[in-house]
Order: sequence, then structure tokens, then C-alpha cells
Amino acid sequence: MATLFWVMTCGGALIWAGTVAVLLYAVRRRTLYSEPAASRLIFWAGAVFPAITLILLLGYALWLMPSLRPLAQPGAPTLRIEVTGRQYWWRVIYRQPGTPPVVSANEIRLPVGERVEFTLKSDDVIHSFWIPALGGKMDMIPGRENRLSLRATKPGTFRGPCTEFCGTSHALMAFSAVAMEPAEFRQWLAGQHVPSAGATGTGARLFIRHGCGACHAVAGTEATGMLGPDLSHLGSRETLGAGILPNSQDNIARFIAEPDVIKPGVQMPGFDMLPPDDIEAIASWLKGLK
Amino acid sequence: MSAPAKKLPKADLEAQAERLRAVWANPTGWRYWTTVNNTQIGLWYASTAFAFMLFAGVLALIVRAQLAVPDNDLVSADFYNQAFTLHGTVMMFLFAVPIFEAVAIFLLPPMLGARELPFPRLGAFGFWSFFLGGTFVCGSIFFNAAPSSGWFMYPPLATDKELSGIGADIWLLGLSFIEVASIAAAVELIVGIMKCRAPGMRINLMPLFAWYLLIVAGMILFAFPPLIAGDILFEMQRMFDWPFFDPARGGDPLLWQHLFWIFGHPEVYIIFLPAIALMAMIVPTFSQRPIVGYSWIVLAAVGTGFLSFGLWVHHMFATGLPQISLAFFSAASEAVAIPTAVQIFVFIATMLAGRVIFSTPMLFGTGGIAIFILGGLTGVMVALAPFDWQAHDTYFVVAHLHYVLIGGMLFPVIAGIYYYYPLIDAKHLSDRMGRSAFWLMFVGFNVAFFPMHLAGLRGMPRRVFTYPADVGWDWMNLLSTVGAFVLAFGVLVVVVDILRPKHRQNRGEQNPWNAGTLEWISEPEENWGVRSIPHVESRYPLWDQKNLARDVNDGRFYLPDAEEGRREGLITSVLDGDPMQVLRVGGTSYVAIFSAVSLGAAFIALTFHWWIATAVSAIVCFCAILYWLWTGTAEIPEKPAKDVGLGLTLPLYASGPASVGWWAMFITMVGDSTAFASLVFGYFFYWTIHPDFTAGIAGPGMPWPMTSAVLFLTAWAATFAARQLNARGFVAGMRIVLLLGLMLTLVASAAGFAGPWSHGMDPTAHVYPAIVWVLVIWVLAHAAVGAVMQAYCLARSFAGRLTPVYDMDIRNIALYWHFMAITAAIAFAVIGLFPEAV
Amino acid sequence: MVWRFLPPQVESLWTLFTAPVVWAIHFLICYVGAAVFCAKPGLFDVDFGAVRAGIAFATLLALSAILLAGILAWRQWGFGAGDPPHDDPTRHDRGLFQGFATLLLAGLSFIAVIMTALPALFVTGCLR
Repeated sequence: MATLFWVMTCGGALIWAGTVAVLLYAVRRRTLYSEPAASRLIFWAGAVFPAITLILLLGYALWLMPSLRPLAQPGAPTLRIEVTGRQYWWRVIYRQPGTPPVVSANEIRLPVGERVEFTLKSDDVIHSFWIPALGGKMDMIPGRENRLSLRATKPGTFRGPCTEFCGTSHALMAFSAVAMEPAEFRQWLAGQHVPSAGATGTGARLFIRHGCGACHAVAGTEATGMLGPDLSHLGSRETLGAGILPNSQDNIARFIAEPDVIKPGVQMPGFDMLPPDDIEAIASWLKGLK
Repeated sequence: MSAPAKKLPKADLEAQAERLRAVWANPTGWRYWTTVNNTQIGLWYASTAFAFMLFAGVLALIVRAQLAVPDNDLVSADFYNQAFTLHGTVMMFLFAVPIFEAVAIFLLPPMLGARELPFPRLGAFGFWSFFLGGTFVCGSIFFNAAPSSGWFMYPPLATDKELSGIGADIWLLGLSFIEVASIAAAVELIVGIMKCRAPGMRINLMPLFAWYLLIVAGMILFAFPPLIAGDILFEMQRMFDWPFFDPARGGDPLLWQHLFWIFGHPEVYIIFLPAIALMAMIVPTFSQRPIVGYSWIVLAAVGTGFLSFGLWVHHMFATGLPQISLAFFSAASEAVAIPTAVQIFVFIATMLAGRVIFSTPMLFGTGGIAIFILGGLTGVMVALAPFDWQAHDTYFVVAHLHYVLIGGMLFPVIAGIYYYYPLIDAKHLSDRMGRSAFWLMFVGFNVAFFPMHLAGLRGMPRRVFTYPADVGWDWMNLLSTVGAFVLAFGVLVVVVDILRPKHRQNRGEQNPWNAGTLEWISEPEENWGVRSIPHVESRYPLWDQKNLARDVNDGRFYLPDAEEGRREGLITSVLDGDPMQVLRVGGTSYVAIFSAVSLGAAFIALTFHWWIATAVSAIVCFCAILYWLWTGTAEIPEKPAKDVGLGLTLPLYASGPASVGWWAMFITMVGDSTAFASLVFGYFFYWTIHPDFTAGIAGPGMPWPMTSAVLFLTAWAATFAARQLNARGFVAGMRIVLLLGLMLTLVASAAGFAGPWSHGMDPTAHVYPAIVWVLVIWVLAHAAVGAVMQAYCLARSFAGRLTPVYDMDIRNIALYWHFMAITAAIAFAVIGLFPEAV
Repeated sequence: MVWRFLPPQVESLWTLFTAPVVWAIHFLICYVGAAVFCAKPGLFDVDFGAVRAGIAFATLLALSAILLAGILAWRQWGFGAGDPPHDDPTRHDRGLFQGFATLLLAGLSFIAVIMTALPALFVTGCLR
């Protein structure tokens, strides 16, 4: 893929420079060329050269295509991650044979060196899933299920923006993809199967009392809503609000009070009518859900 | 060879000129706005389109200002989305396509040595439709009601009333209105180029501009109707909740993407080819020699016209279609680069073989080509699916498309303005201002758009109203914003140059650049186009035919007079330009503007769901069009033929394939059939995506659709028989058969309706009944038009306006009915037989 | 002469479009065929190899048709007897121009058909 890019960029630059040079020469020179000579230029430079170049380039790209979307390869991948686009966040479900699915949101973790297959869906409008550092993008279309196969080659955190215009806050819809060493990844995934240690406490009571559980789920509590992001291990995520704010207690509190200011058009109503102390308590509790 | 006639005495010439002038004069006072003359309409059209371009440019500046720095809050997210949506929409629909229609309406008649295009009132109608629709769409942003879902309007975002508001309706209805006007313009241009050329202008002598425009108008005919079909489905969903794009009820958002891009990609070439056509006129003039590779240009225009229809899925590479499908479209997208390369090398070859005068138009032209080549090369890159999966919907594509459109369209158009300005009032634009404008625009453009390639490669998605500071896109965006303002300043210089008063400047020469083509004969002061219609014997008549301009202005060629006080032009044969007929075209009239305003009122009322106002306006428009047809078309001349000069006598009336009206009908119906084919495509599309596309819902059955199809075929046979009877002089028999045909049409329509009705198909329940209903309604609407036509011919016959000799009306409606019969047969076969077959 | 077996010369603008129309039909057959096969694999009971073979067959047909159109155009061009620009105001030169332009379009369509067929050479399945 990178080879294709560099071949095209350098080749394109050369062709551009060559053509513009001929163009400038044609404008400036003093000698007159005969009509047959000029016609030959059209034939060779305008028709034959592009035809040959393009056929070669096309052949090369077509030859690359199957290997870039290797879904036809035998052997089902052990890890399948289902990502569903919502205005303006991502539901992430890790599915492995033999274990219950793990539900999360707005952050995707994957093991380095292993092929991971993504199932991409949408619940409302069209979104597009893209981790620029790992590979090409794929749309998430309501009523369809798309598949994508990616492999991280080195550990790190990569940003993934939504790349299909999806409404007012399209610009504020991103996620982070964290590539981890396989062992570390398995350990993390196992931790996700159990509720966070901090799931009980005052914050949990307030969270339920103010109705947050109608939309959000937190494992280990009565909150099982599915309309909004799952918050079971919110405190351990790197960002808030689908990749737009650093994950701090202050930012959580701000998001609870005025989500539509941070993210215009968001579905979540603002809760600035709650007592500030309650908001602080909930924020502190959520930050503690590691 | 037709040598010019003897020159008449001065007094006779003056009298001739006086009569011609009176016939072609514009009305005065406020009635000036009812003129239909191609020069005025062309100028209004171009100025309006240019004004819309400036408006959209300002929106672009707002967009760039917002993106200058990360996390900016200059404008709200919602306003930003309205601004970029309207920017794209206006630039594409209200500037890029209309400006070429405008230039064509202005330039084609003088270039072809014609007095007018064949349907001047239709041209005026098109302009007023465009003006109204465009103002409506642009105005919406001042009420915070502009469309905000992107110029591509993807459902479900744009079909959801909560998410897209009235802006989406404004987009759909406002633009549908304009699309109809574009198709009207295409019909006018095709007929004009094929049939209204000066005598002797064979197809190997036609100016290249006309060749390009012929191909482009043909492309419009196949590209716009799928979008119109898509608009119909879209508006049915928004207005009546028919679930064409709703996956919960069997619909699919992807169908819209197909229909939109079947239009959307040819659209790019519809924009690009006319601009290159301007270059094909400018380059030979400033190389002072005929173009090298005339046939190659024809190859390039025709080849691009065809190949551009095999590219649409390259906008959908990331939608998860099968790889093999993507690969086909990659292939065609690469192939289209070949004819494009040919065109560029034709220009280079012409310059090499001539002595280049490096004027301001050439500066803009070559600068534009240099920009365009880069855009073309990045186009080759993004056309390859593997690369596109990275670049798609990033700023890389934004850079690519602006390199293509600004280099391939805006720069050549400005070159065209500098080149053709003397035709408007025989004055010149300033060379100095032109050159400074060029350098500002050229540098500004590259500073603005080159960094976008990098931003895109670094992962910056399109259509974002803001971006975070820590991802490394800051300096590129700031640079782009600075460049955009420099570019805008350059455009401003051009605007100032155009608008600055020039009354103190002396009148320039008739042909200041010493160009070789006919348009440079026409005098800006006169409205008649050419004083007499010349006989053409060269591709560059002004270079090769000695004293042509003088002889034309001395009235020594065809039709130098207007004795009967009518606007007249010549119809010639398609291949060899042999004179065949004198065509009398419509003059100044209220009907065009009145019809356009009432049609516009109907569309606008529909946007706001004012049903009664819609119905009233539609009826008014219908009556206006009937009045227009009745009084202004298929007129029986006072004598069968007239002397056109040079010893030639030509008929004043023609019907059937010899007439322009028949061709206009044929071309319109080709476009209409394309829209119908798009709906049928929709039907089968739903079949492919579902295991059982009927979802167990009862269809229209077989009996009713089959009955209806048979009845429609009988109605068609009756109409056809009426035509034959009339031609043989059996007028009474014709009336009876035509009446029978009219009744059959009504019965057939009832039978067609009965199919889905009697099976209780509910179009809001699932997409299957909805698509069946749409096909049936399509047929019924056409049947209604067909019935009106039958009744119209009956009335014309009784009024003595349709006779066995003067039978244009019935021949045209018989042609309509050929298409009608095919439409009905296909529609009912599909809905009646296909569900039984699978 | 072998040329007598060819259809007679047609005086029409439409012949110009023959080769591109063949390309368009070939393109549609390839695209629609593959798309329907991938969407409804059960419909035909054949494997992807058959689709590729079908595309190969359609390609051969299309190329022969374009070849024929090209030969006819070559004849109309007088078998290359004269060089362009063919800009005399005569019926003869108009015919030569048509022949030459048609021949060029046949060439372009020939290449475009080959390019359209290339995917079948490299892509071996429907899977996305």
C-alpha cells in the first residue's frame, strides 16, 4: 500500500513536471513545429503513454486489492469487535467464542500482531469507521453490516475519527484505538468481564435516582440503559465524549451539566438543574470506575 | 459553393436593416424583462450564475475562517454545516452547470451563424426557473433554514425530519426545479447545434465549442434524470413517509448514493468539458492557427462523455460493496484519464505549431491547465480503491476536487470572460488588472489547497466544523485560510474589472484578437445576431473566407431581411449543413416568465406543504403552458415557402423528423426514459438486497397490470392510426380514432391504478408496495400528459390549426406515445410478471 | 474484395458512437452480472469462476464488435489514404473526418474494454 502511494506520488510529480515543462516550452519557444510533428505529440504523449501507464498502474492496484481486505482467508479470527455508530459516539462490543460479550464505548483496544475482524453497523445515520494508522476506512450503514479486518503492528494509541458526515457534531465524533501487547490485552479484556470495584457507593445511588440508568449501563448496578454509551469502566478510558475531552472528573461533571454546549446536537439532555454537589458526586464516582 | 449575392443599393440595405432591427428589438421599459433574445438571456443567466458563485465563495471564506485555528468558535456547528452544504450545492448546481448553459445560450447562435436558438422562449423559461429556484435555495441561509446535510444529502440523515429540517425540502424541491430547467437547456442546445448551423457548416467544420456542448448536453440528458428520480423517491419519503431509504421497512440508504452519483460523477465532466471548450476556442486564436488534432478533440469529448458514466461507484468505495464491483469502477476511472490527457496535448500541440501570443486569457488558460493536471493526477490516485480507502472523505479529496474544478473550470471560465468580454459591449477588460488577478488567484489557490493534500494524508476528515489542536493539522489549515483569502481577493479584482464603468473607453474593433470563428462577426449593438446568415466553407471562416465579415454585414447572404415581420432563422441538415427550412421562432412574450413564476410558486408552496397554493399554482402553470403551446407553436404560415436569398426558396413549415419540434420531443423523452429506467433500477435494486423483496406483501397481481398494459398499447395504436389517417386526409376518421384513443387512455389508467389499489398495497408499510406505487404513478402521470396531448390535438383539429398538411402536433404526440407505450409495457411487465417469475 | 462482405457505409452521425456504446454495454454486463451474482449467490448455482469466464466471453464479444466498428471506420477514412485535418468544405472530407474520429473512438473503447475486464483477472471472489 505504501509502495503504491509512493509510486503514484513520485510518478505523478514527474508527469506533472514534464507536462508543465512542455506546456511552458510550447508557450515560450520561437521555432515552429509542423502539424504532423505536433500530431505525433498528441498520439504518443496524449494517448499511448497514459494508456500504457494507466493499464500497468491499474493492474498493480487490482493485484493489491484482495490482500488489503483479506476477509476471504480461511480460519475465523478469534477476536471479533462489533462497533456500532451512533450520533455521536461508538458502541463497542468484544465478541470471543465461549465468553460473554464485553460492552464498552468510544475506545477500542486490540492486541498487537493479531488480525482483528470488525463488524460495523449503525443505529441511526451513516458513519464511517477509520483508524488512519492501521488501514482503510469502512462505512457504517443502517440496515447493513460491513466487515473490516485490521492488524496493529506496534503498540500505541491511535485516533480514529468518524469520516462520513453524520450531523451537527460530526466533527466531535472520534475514538481512540489502543494497541496493546497480546498478554496485556487478554488481561485487560478479562477485567472487563467483571464490574468495576467502585461500582457501589453514593455516586451509584445518585446515578440511579436522577435517571441516568435509563440510557447508560454500569455493570454491577441497576443501570442497564442501552441508548447511551456503556459507562462500566469509564474511569479507565483515555478520553470523554467520544474522543473529544481528556478524561478528568471536572470534564465528566461539565459533560453531565451541559452536554449540548460541548457537543451541539447531542441526544443527551443537560442536567444542570441537578444540585452541583450531586453532579460532583456522580462525576467522582464515574471517574472511579476503573 | 455559394458566392455572396450582389450588394443592394444603400437605401434598400438601410430599409432591410431597419426592418430586421425592429423585429429583433428588445421591449423597452419594465417590459424589457419579458425579452427572450438569446443575448440578453445569456447575459442575465451568466450574471446570475456568477453572483451565486460569489455568494458561495463568501460561504467558503466563512468555512475557511472557522477552520483557521483549532477549536475555533467563530460560527456555530449548525451554521457551519449549512455553510459548507450550501457552498457545495450552489457551486455545483447554481454556478458550474448554469454558467455553461449561459455561455452557450449567449455564444452558440453567433458562433454557428444562427440568429437564435430554436426555442428562445424555452431559454427564457429556463433562465427564470433558475433565477427563482436559485434565489430560493440561497436565501434559505438568511432564515437559518438552509440545508445542512451536505450537498450529497445522504439519507437517513437527510430524510430524518428531526435531523435535517426544512432545509432538505428546500434543497430537493428548489434543485428539482433547476434540474428541469437544465434539461430544457440541454434540449435547446442539442437541437440548436444539430439543426441550426449556418449553411455549409458540415460537422467537420463545426466550431469545437459546439462539439463539446453537443456532448455535454447529451450527458445532461442521461445524468440529470437519475437524480430527478432519486429526488422523487426522496421527497416521497420526506413528505409521505414512503420508506425508500429506511432499512427498518425494507429500504436502503445506498440506493440514493447510487442514483446521486450516477448523476454526480458525469456532472463533474458536464462542468469540465464546456470550460475546456472555451480553451479550444482561445488557444487557436492566440496561436494564430487552426487547432491541431480537431478529430482528437472530438474523440476526447465523446470518449469522456461515455466513460464518465462508468465512474459513479468510486464515490462509494468505502460502502462495503463487493471488491469486484469496486474494481470495475476503478478501471473506468483510470480509463477516463486517457481522453483527458489527449485534450491537454491537443492544446500543447496547437501552441507548438503556432506563434503564441501570451495574452491574459492565455495566462488564465495555461495556469488553469497546470492546476488541472495536478488534480487529474491525484484523481488517478484516488480512483484506485486501495488508496481511496485511506484518502476517501479526507481533505486529500477536498484538495483533489478543487484542483480539478478550479483549474479545470474556474480559470478557463475567467479566461473566457477576458476573451469574450468585447462581444458584450465592444470594450476591453484591463490587461493589467487581469494579470494581477491571475497571479493573486494562482498563488492564493495553491497556498490554499496544496496543504490540504497533506492534511488529508495526515487523517483530517472532511466536513468537520472544528478539529483538536494536538493532532498536527494546525499550520496547514492556517495556511489554507490565508490562501483562500488571497484567492478571493484575486476574484474580487476580476469582479471590479468587470463592473468598473467603461463608458469613457473607446469602442474597440469588431474582432480585437483576430479570431477565426463566426461569433466575432456579430455586432454588440445589434440584436439580430448576424446581419445575414453566411455560407460557411471553413473551420475558421474569418481567416479563410475573404471579406466574409463585410459581405455578411452588407446583407449579401441568406435572410438579410424580415419582410413579414417575423424572427426567422435557417434549419440545416445534421451532417452537411444543407439548408432545409426557414424556422420562425417565438419573439418577446410574457408566457415564458409567467410559466416559470407559476411553476416556481408551485415548487415553493410544496416545500412548505401549502397544498392549496401548490394546486392553484400548478393549475395556473398548466394553463399558461397550454396557452403558450396553442399560440406559439406549430403555427400555420401564410405561405408555404419563402425566398431566402441567393436564389434559394425554402419551406416555412416542416413536421416529423424534419422539424425541430419533433427532435425536441424525442430528446426530452430520451431524458424522461432515463428517469424511468432509474426507477426500474430501484425496483430491481430492492430485489437484489432482500432474500424476499416482497416481504410477503401481496403485489398488484397479474390481471390488472396486464389489462392496463394491453389497453395502453391499444391507446398507442389508436394515436398512431390517427396520425396516419390525418396524413391521408381522413380528418373525421382521425378525430373519431383519437377520441377513442383518449378514452382508452383513461380506462387503461384506471386499470393500472386498480392493480395495487385492489390488493390494498400500503406504500408506507414497506418498500415493496412503495416502489410498485411509484412505478404505477409514473405511468399514470405520463398517461395524464398523453391524454392532454390527445385532447389538445382534437381541439387543434377542430380549430383548424392541425390539418393533413400541417400536422406537426399529431406527429409529435404520436412520438410521445411511442415512448408512452414502451414505458407502460415495461412498468406493468415488471410489477405484474416479475414477482411471479422469482 | 473482402470489403464487399462488410455492411454498406451508413450516412449518419450515430456510427460515431458505436464503439463507446459497445463499451457501455460491456461495462454494464460485467458490473450487473457480478453484482447480482454477489448479492444472490443462490440464484444461478455457479461459482465465481463462471462469472470470470462469462466476463472473459463478454469481453471477447465486445472486442470483436469494436474491431468491426474500427474496420468500418478505417474504410470510411479511406484506409488512411489522407492525413488529417480533413477540413475541406466537401462531403468527401466530412466523411474522412467521421471515419478518422470513429477510428480513434474505437481505439479508446478497445483499451477501455480491456481495462474493464482486468478486474476479473485479479479479483477472485465477492467477499468485501
